[in-house]
Amino acid sequence: MKQPKIGVYICHCGGNISDTVDVAKVKDAISKCKGVEICETYEYMCSKPGQDMIERDIKEHNLNRVVVASCSPRMHLDTFRGAAKRAELNPYLLEMANIREQCSWVHDNKELATTKATSLIRGLTERVKHLEPLETKTMPVNRDVAVIGGGIAGVLASIELADKGYKVYLIERNPSIGGHMAQLSKTFPTLDCSACILTPKMVYVSQNPNIEIIDMAEPVAVNGSPGNFELTVKIRPRYVDKEKCISCGECAKVCPVKKWSRHEEGLTQEKAIYLPFKQAVPNAYVIDRDQCLWFNKGVCRVCEKFCKGKAITFDQKEETRQLNVGAVIACTGYQQLDSGISKEVFDGWDVFSQYSFGLHPDVVTNLQFERLMLQGMHRPSNGKPPKKVAFVLCVGSRMDRGIQYCCKIGCMNAIKHSLLLLKAFPEAEPWIFYTDIRAHGKGYEEFYSNARGHNVKFIRGRVAEVVPNGDDLILRAEDTVLGKHIEENFDMVVLSPALLPNSGTGQLSKMLGIDLGPDNFFLERHHKLRPVDTKMEGIYLAGCAVGPKDIRETTVETMATASKVATFLGRGEISLSPEKAHIETEKCNNCGACTQYCPFKAIESTAKGIVINSISCTGCGICVPKCPTEAIDLKQSTDRELTAQIQGTCETDGDKPRILAFLEKTTAYGSADLAGQTRIQYTPDVRIIAVPSAGRVGLKHVLTAFASGADGIIFIEGDDSPFREDGVRDHVNGMKKELGKFGVESLRLVSMTTTLPQFDKVVNLFQTFDERITKMGRVAPEKRKRLLEALGGGK
Amino acid sequence: MEHSKFHQITREMSDPAFIEEIKKMPGGDKILDCIQCGVCAGSCHARFAMDYSPMQVLKMAHLGLKKEILSSSTIWICASCYTCASRCPRGLDIPAIMSGFKNMAMKSNVTAPIALKPKFHKTFTEIVGKYGRMYEPELQIKLTEKTDVGALMHNASLGLRMFRKGKISLQPSKLSPSTHFTDIVKNVLKEEAPKK
Repeated sequence: MKQPKIGVYICHCGGNISDTVDVAKVKDAISKCKGVEICETYEYMCSKPGQDMIERDIKEHNLNRVVVASCSPRMHLDTFRGAAKRAELNPYLLEMANIREQCSWVHDNKELATTKATSLIRGLTERVKHLEPLETKTMPVNRDVAVIGGGIAGVLASIELADKGYKVYLIERNPSIGGHMAQLSKTFPTLDCSACILTPKMVYVSQNPNIEIIDMAEPVAVNGSPGNFELTVKIRPRYVDKEKCISCGECAKVCPVKKWSRHEEGLTQEKAIYLPFKQAVPNAYVIDRDQCLWFNKGVCRVCEKFCKGKAITFDQKEETRQLNVGAVIACTGYQQLDSGISKEVFDGWDVFSQYSFGLHPDVVTNLQFERLMLQGMHRPSNGKPPKKVAFVLCVGSRMDRGIQYCCKIGCMNAIKHSLLLLKAFPEAEPWIFYTDIRAHGKGYEEFYSNARGHNVKFIRGRVAEVVPNGDDLILRAEDTVLGKHIEENFDMVVLSPALLPNSGTGQLSKMLGIDLGPDNFFLERHHKLRPVDTKMEGIYLAGCAVGPKDIRETTVETMATASKVATFLGRGEISLSPEKAHIETEKCNNCGACTQYCPFKAIESTAKGIVINSISCTGCGICVPKCPTEAIDLKQSTDRELTAQIQGTCETDGDKPRILAFLEKTTAYGSADLAGQTRIQYTPDVRIIAVPSAGRVGLKHVLTAFASGADGIIFIEGDDSPFREDGVRDHVNGMKKELGKFGVESLRLVSMTTTLPQFDKVVNLFQTFDERITKMGRVAPEKRKRLLEALGGGK
Repeated sequence: MEHSKFHQITREMSDPAFIEEIKKMPGGDKILDCIQCGVCAGSCHARFAMDYSPMQVLKMAHLGLKKEILSSSTIWICASCYTCASRCPRGLDIPAIMSGFKNMAMKSNVTAPIALKPKFHKTFTEIVGKYGRMYEPELQIKLTEKTDVGALMHNASLGLRMFRKGKISLQPSKLSPSTHFTDIVKNVLKEEAPKK
């Protein structure tokens, strides 16, 4: 390595810094540091003359490292790296010391602030000596997309991407695409026919040359990396040749076996060879293997004889297919709560039992009511038109455990059903028993008031019980507005069950390496700003797989998803940040310890040794301290760089305690910046070092810090980081245990997680921890000596 | 039975410390989870005899209406049948909260709207403390001694029928309760003794 020639530039920030920090004094101290070629102060470093000064110095003095001490790197790192680039210095050789948000703005005491600023800058000057020039790389991507789930989200995503020119594989586990929307009668609040708006889209999908529907199929394995995934898909046999079947229905006429129809929600029967529904896509019959006599008893095959197109193929086998795609969209939708799931979710409690569901045929779910609408509205018990119908909302939703969330469609659905019922039978009496009516979408409040105008009875009160009374049903509830008990007779009771993530969502999340939220739906990357991304690049979400939502919201979300996928794949290549983990093969003994800790499945143990996928790797550095042979290192946060920064920062004048705070560089560090922007004052004993994640800092660094003069160490992780609260705690607790062996109290380490706006929590920790360390006193010099020896002379 | 005792909620009526007091009671930690859905009120078998529904009592608790709750009949009429608790979507242990209010009412010497109830509460505890289990005849006699003869006669005839069916016996079946148990009962009675 060339001899480092460092340029240090200290900004006054028009008094923002220089009013609190004595910049001249800092300049004096830093100029004396080894390797510092030039040290300047300037009024506004980020201004054109300021940047020009840096560019000129790089050229004139042949500087090969630069430190800018000014505001937060979150503010101006790109600005100054741009200046370095213009002066033909690799931008990764420039770093910033944050002496505004994390120093001058949060401290009053000029002397202590000056000392702190000096030590922060000294840490950086030590660090930059070890920096390496880095280059951004690019990787070609596969432009094909796999869409998992053929409901309305999957259908729209496929169309949107196919129309943009991408090849789409639409994977659906049922015999037809269409999902729940294919079961609906009309949609709120416009009351347009669901099939009329959905089926043309389904047909378009089947005819689009860019879309291949893979029905009766489920992914069983996902390998590869963002931009180049390999999906293994298992395809169940249909026993009917889709190309030959003309859906004439002769087979079903002669089939002797009857079974309950899934599409009709178990209200009517169909044959063992059946068409899922009239407008099914692909429009072909399918044999239910579990019901068919040939598969169960080895007799029959009558359908085969009557099939005009010779389409029935009993010898079809299960297939597996490999799909190579650049991106994956998971839009697996929802399932409704039923008795079985209820017992699972609520520790054996069936929420349906108090409503006599299953005990009386006239107690139905809202999805069954949809089918009854389409069949011609009637009571399942006697086929007569219903007069008084009760709609029971929030069945299993909004509980204190299991299903805490709102189903989001129940209210509007019940209002829609009431209006449709009144349209069919003007003398009918719909009663809606609600807890809170949620009419949040466009046109929804108007729809609600329309229903009120039609004399739909709205009773505010959760239904206590429904009891069969001969042919009728007795419903008991409290009208909480009047404070009166209600006991009424009804012909029919319609339940609005909670919505849950579809079966298999958990398995798919493991396969794709993405997270589930506390509600067991897929977890988005960011609730507000990256709502359709997952923590894995190249894997996106849409529809009810992310959480309950209505059709319009699903459509909007799906368009966003398709756009994100197009952006990701559209350039044909993805650029990779060079700040990634890498293996030094000669040190690696292929023990595989690192593979367990990577939250992104980026590390793989192969016969040839450990391989790190540089696309999946986010550069969090969690793996680095976990390696027993120190074979992993992280670019732009190497062990040498980090160690040098720790040593440089700990080297401080004065006898005050020195506390190092390792803050995850995005959220936690940003939170500390926010504290600065609000000018909250905290102890100048704390010096913050930005790290890719708290997991990047290992025992070696902690020991180095204590050996070099630190008296306490804080770890703060961002709430949205892959390294979650328990991960941080386990990591720090592990180091606490080890610390005892070196005679350092475990109370000198502390950790927590924070969100960006919780800076008061961060500052509070700084304060209380400083009080603790002040009370404990500084680490004894002989202990530091012993630590230094244990570390092998400080290296 | 339904009657509203107050027409408006004034600042003086609300006790801001009440909610903290409730949070310390068994089952009271979840009091603020109530979403006022009314399933407790709809499920309550004794609702007809209460002046406020359980849901309304919970709401009043949120608003800090301590005096109104402790003087309501609801807390005394609650039979602790647990139908409400088994259906509550937020998992509130409403009968436990009602019991807590009963204890609070006893302590703070509030006149209950049903005079017999607090007395029943106290006598019940005393008898259980004495024998280790319930002895109905003694409970009946103690509860009715100061009221009219008619009620005594009515209860006596009921008692006779129950005796014939073997539901009650003339002698209390004594379990000789352990000293631990009697200590607990003594403490309860001491705790609940009205503060002068």
